[in-house]
Amino acid sequence: MSTIRLAFTYARRELRSGLKGFRIFLACLALGVAAIAGVGSLGQAIEAGLRADGKVLLGGDVSFRTTHAPVSAEQRSWIEAQSDLVSATVEMRANAFAVAKDTRRLVELKAVDDAYPLFGSVELSGEQNLDVTISNIDGVWGAAAHPGLTERLGIAIGDKVRVGDLTLEIRSLIVKEPDKGTQAFNFGPRLLIALPALAETNLVKPGSVIRYFYRTDLPEATSPATLRQAALEAFPNAGWRIQDLENAAPNIQRFVDRVGSFMTIVGLTALLVGGVGVGNAVRTFLQSKIGTIATLKCIGAPASLIFYTYLIQVGIIALLGIAIGLIIGVLAPLAALGSFGDSLPVEGQFAVYWEPIAIAVAFGILVTLVFSLWPLARAKTIPGIALFRDLVAPVSGFPGWKAFLGISALAITLAGLAVFTSSQPHLAVRFVLGSIATLVAFWGIAALVIRGSKMLPRSRRASVRLAITNLHRPGAATVGVVMSLGMGLTVLVAVAMLEDNLNNEVSYALRGEAPGYYFIDLQNDQVQTFQDIAANADYAVRTEIVPMLRGRITSLKGVPVSDITPPAEDAWILRGDRGLTWTAGPPNSADSIVRGDWWPEDYSGPQLVSFDAEAAAAFNLEIGDKIEVNILGRTIEATIANWRQIDWNDLGINFVMVFSPGALQNAPMSHIATAYLDEENELTLEDAVVRTLPNVSAIRVKEVLGEVQVILTKIATAVRIIAIVAVIAGVLVLAGAIAAGQKGRIYDSIVLKVLGATRKDLVFAYGLEYGVLGIVTSFIAIILGGGAAWFVITRVMEAQWSVSAMPVIATVVPALLVTVGAGMIGTWAALNKKAAPLLRNE
Amino acid sequence: MTDNTPSDPNTVVLLKNVHLTLGSEAGPVNILRGIDFEALRGETVSIVGPSGSGKTSMMMIIAGLERPTSGQILIDGREIQDLNEDSLALLRRERVGIVFQGFHLVPTMSAIENVAVPLELAGRNDAFIQAKKMLGVVGLDHRLTHYPAQLSGGEQQRVALARAFAIEPKILLADEPTGNLDGTTGEHIIEQMFKLCAEFGTTLLLITHDPDLAARCSRSVSMADGLLSEVTKSEAPTARAV
Repeated sequence: MSTIRLAFTYARRELRSGLKGFRIFLACLALGVAAIAGVGSLGQAIEAGLRADGKVLLGGDVSFRTTHAPVSAEQRSWIEAQSDLVSATVEMRANAFAVAKDTRRLVELKAVDDAYPLFGSVELSGEQNLDVTISNIDGVWGAAAHPGLTERLGIAIGDKVRVGDLTLEIRSLIVKEPDKGTQAFNFGPRLLIALPALAETNLVKPGSVIRYFYRTDLPEATSPATLRQAALEAFPNAGWRIQDLENAAPNIQRFVDRVGSFMTIVGLTALLVGGVGVGNAVRTFLQSKIGTIATLKCIGAPASLIFYTYLIQVGIIALLGIAIGLIIGVLAPLAALGSFGDSLPVEGQFAVYWEPIAIAVAFGILVTLVFSLWPLARAKTIPGIALFRDLVAPVSGFPGWKAFLGISALAITLAGLAVFTSSQPHLAVRFVLGSIATLVAFWGIAALVIRGSKMLPRSRRASVRLAITNLHRPGAATVGVVMSLGMGLTVLVAVAMLEDNLNNEVSYALRGEAPGYYFIDLQNDQVQTFQDIAANADYAVRTEIVPMLRGRITSLKGVPVSDITPPAEDAWILRGDRGLTWTAGPPNSADSIVRGDWWPEDYSGPQLVSFDAEAAAAFNLEIGDKIEVNILGRTIEATIANWRQIDWNDLGINFVMVFSPGALQNAPMSHIATAYLDEENELTLEDAVVRTLPNVSAIRVKEVLGEVQVILTKIATAVRIIAIVAVIAGVLVLAGAIAAGQKGRIYDSIVLKVLGATRKDLVFAYGLEYGVLGIVTSFIAIILGGGAAWFVITRVMEAQWSVSAMPVIATVVPALLVTVGAGMIGTWAALNKKAAPLLRNE
Repeated sequence: MTDNTPSDPNTVVLLKNVHLTLGSEAGPVNILRGIDFEALRGETVSIVGPSGSGKTSMMMIIAGLERPTSGQILIDGREIQDLNEDSLALLRRERVGIVFQGFHLVPTMSAIENVAVPLELAGRNDAFIQAKKMLGVVGLDHRLTHYPAQLSGGEQQRVALARAFAIEPKILLADEPTGNLDGTTGEHIIEQMFKLCAEFGTTLLLITHDPDLAARCSRSVSMADGLLSEVTKSEAPTARAV
């Protein structure tokens, strides 16, 4: 009978006795596979929703968007000629004043035509019809409002609001807006009106930040890509941004990708930690089979038969664990979508997605092999009689070069799979390297604890000495406990410190140096009025006012933007419109110019531009390089005159590009102003400005930061939930490490009791042992987790680093209690065993 | 006999009407059915009888490792049947040494560590010095740092013997100490055991199937069906099973 067939036969016989001893193995593997399959499936469900709802989210097959001004009549005719139907909408921010009350609110105003929406439908309260809601009835235009607006203004359906010069009647509340999901952040609740009503508000002024959308329903024969290409050819200098179904909701797509990447990485951490448990379980399993293996070897079984017999058993059990994990992982999105699906802007499409399943299976198999081949190969190579002494006098742990190379190749494959399946390979590479470093660090710490405990002077107290020697005795649980708990705890500490730092960043801005307000859409003839309001206030207020336009970079150094692949962190600069300004004099702080020179105040030569220093370095732009920017349909070429170092964290007025006076001076523009004042005077200033200048939008920075904080907290909570999966994996492995030593612990406890050890002696000894392990592991996890958080905060986010004790304590103390508790549960079980049955002669 | 006090001031072990009944699926099993036993200081008593007669159970009760269902047990003048676990552990720590057929060393402790344990539990600062000395007495001073798996059966039993005598016990309980050893090795173990008992004045209670070994003791009792049924007198001071 061939070796493999015989191995299957022996494996089957051994598995008849059940899966006892493999429960932790199954749990570890199932948890890790479930995490990866679950996160991947949820991501695919949301992406499928994005694809299915693409047209609804985008509002059409293709969307053309301009800022400041609508498309020309020629462009509009062209678009209509290519489409079956076109819907035009206009969006801007405005102030809504309750007519009967002294309340007002900044709103996201949206004016729509009769064709809106092209796809999907607007759901309104009371089953109202949109056309009727926003129509002009007896000279009064209607509006549909987000419930947040009516609550804030203290009004109800039927009440009136004033927007600019127009009075509107609130006729319905918006329940669902089909194309809202494409917007990442809103400064106010939605107010929906008819397009003709917008003109009567008199808010449409040159240079105002107004977005014009033209959504198309294309004929079947026309693809979005075809239309996009045709548009570029027909109007090469058009200032519009074209979106199609491929990038219908880029913000959501990016968010799903990024969060999905991070959660997959945390799932991988859980699987890696589980791998430690898998390795422990296989080691323990082989230990329990020493007699069988030695017997087989003594009666002539070749080493390969031993290896394949136990590899097959491990493989069968691993497949079972993977199957359990897949079932949970595939069903998890159903639970997740059911729980928080309403919070998502798209409807997730629950289904069985084979790609994340295949990836999870591959990870599960690789982790099993990487962590179990070493003990399997060792059992194969060492002589039979040495197996009986292996616990206390291990033969060299090296399993042979063939096995070592095989395990190394599998480990590299595992790392490669992690990198290539990630939507952010750079992050994945850092994760792989970080994980290896962390595993090695904790293994090293465990070795140090073992060595250190051997070197400690012998304590006079028996229970203390017992605790210390338990740390380094053959078969001690030290390595298993430190590694299992360490990885999960490191992730949890990193997440806690990241969240704390991000909250501090927001709080810092809230406390101090950020402006109290941004005022946008100040017209040229309103600047003096604004300055007078500030000057005449009976409280201190400092203002900054700069002109602002919006434009889109179309080329860098002669290379079209469409041909440039920007670094991920700087890609936003080339995406869509950017705010830009012009000025004659240099910025307030001359120190911010880090390369090149500022132009003279009376400069009137060819267009120059000052560029953000970090972005310039990222795009390899040098002084003298040329860039092209499309502003209101006109392409402006400018030469880079200097690099400017910008501190974005102060939340003041900052622009990636500041132009010299020239062509921009005469462009239609508005102004943006910031106001710095004490919090107690903020609402007074806002009131004075918007009542005098009702077209000006006042954005209160504290409110915005407050909303940011809420979003950060929600994200941190979601991330922390996933991070807890890694900790659960660690606890499982810890339980496995304790369970593996349980038989020995029971025996030792009974013998020690026979020799006169009291319960108190043993409880103290084991409690001290696990306490030391827990404290050492926690300490290292704080250093490693804190280090990872520091790197992300200072190097990736370039923010201020701060350390608070509370989040660390709140994370580490429960982990410490779990470690000691788990150890004591095992100990208590051992102490309660009756001595006589174990001591009887066989 | 109904008197609760030992009949001889030299009595170190006294069992009075001791019963032990254990539960099983088939119903209660009477292991010991009214044992009366007394052993004096320095005596060597062999306990013989067929397998399953209750010899080991009686020894476990004397060691405080099994609780009797009823009856009275006095060890060195102290009643132990109602003591809690910790008190029984203290008793063993101070007065009782035990040697098992299966050695029962802690597999992850070296020879010297195994011997030192009872001394450490007793709070002795010289635990390792004493342990080393005891291992020397049993001829294992060259194996101090070896683990049980690295020792032969005879060597392991000598370690167990050193451990049992490290505290200079009042009582030594030996449950077939040579059962897993060959004849020659076993003989050496027995020689050392009797020598140490004599040296420390330890009362020896020895369970054995070997009649020659039984005969070496100052007296012998026989256990059958949970009862001590036979006492043979010898030249040693009187002792009785009533």
